[in-house]
Amino acid sequence: MISEASLVDQLKDKGTQSQAFEVLINTYKVRLYWHIRRIVLNHADTDDVLQNTFIKVFKNIEGFKGESKLFSWMYRIATNEALSFLKSKSKKMEGSNEELQAQMIENLQADVYFEGEEIQLKLQKAIAELPEKQKLVFNMKYFEELKYEEISEILDTSVGALKASYHLASKKIEAFLKND
Amino acid sequence: MKEKDKHSGFKTPEGYFEGFNNSLLDKLKRESTDIPQNEGFSIPEGYFEGLNQNILITLQEGESKVIPLNPYKKYYFTAIAAAASILLVISLQRKKEEAFTFDDLAASEIESYFEFHDYGMSYYEIVEIMPLDDINLQDMLQRRIKDETIADYLNDNVDLFEDLNLENDEY
Repeated sequence: MISEASLVDQLKDKGTQSQAFEVLINTYKVRLYWHIRRIVLNHADTDDVLQNTFIKVFKNIEGFKGESKLFSWMYRIATNEALSFLKSKSKKMEGSNEELQAQMIENLQADVYFEGEEIQLKLQKAIAELPEKQKLVFNMKYFEELKYEEISEILDTSVGALKASYHLASKKIEAFLKND
Repeated sequence: MKEKDKHSGFKTPEGYFEGFNNSLLDKLKRESTDIPQNEGFSIPEGYFEGLNQNILITLQEGESKVIPLNPYKKYYFTAIAAAASILLVISLQRKKEEAFTFDDLAASEIESYFEFHDYGMSYYEIVEIMPLDDINLQDMLQRRIKDETIADYLNDNVDLFEDLNLENDEY
């Protein structure tokens, strides 16, 4: 497997960049897809945000200085793209973020790409009630199985604060799921 | 004598054994919780196979956006340039007469500026430059804030949770 540093070099070189870009997409598309999907919930929006993420990565690779890992940098772009997408969606809807979240959960029930049962729907409701940071940390730790150190680099938050966030989020979700 | 390779050429990812304990503990914790591990999301068949092509097409479309030929274009530019010059002269004359002040801006314009611009300042930096005279602190002090709101605020804004010196049963 190609090392991250040489992949970055190839991406910056006009002669090798298209081939390197394909390698980049193949390496990260599945992980980034699920990361975005957990924020925006439906497939079509995820597809838009994911494509924008890769295009932004491609256009800004010259500015990537290697101060963080390429993986963390891409995750950060994906997270920002997904959150901005939701922000503009709630602006268009002229509603609050809470109203948008409620609407997104309601839409899940009619979504052909959501095959969850009652418990999965309840799980999404529980996650939607969390503050933004806790939601991100919970998804990244519980479902994406990222290490605290990796999440710390992506979200620029200390490991201690992440552990506290994850602990609080899990407790809230468990309590929500237990309540009928 | 050269040491015999005990692992017959097998390798593990860097840091694998250092992180093993934590991954195992995380896995055990996940298995002991009631939170489902299946989220119920699905994707269209063959989506990932076609994704590369779609991204490359979108990228090429963005790069090769052709500016339509328009015979009237140069006249538009002339008209725009003329209009801009007139506006510039008028605004320069007006500036001589009266300079704009901060008070001339409507509050809604300021709000919308802050909403749509990434001004790169933390809340603390904003507080440092904002005069406190116009803020009615009484309004804030009289409002009852829910415990959960305080917990969420601390969680989002306090980096070292341990610094709060909470007892185990407090969080």
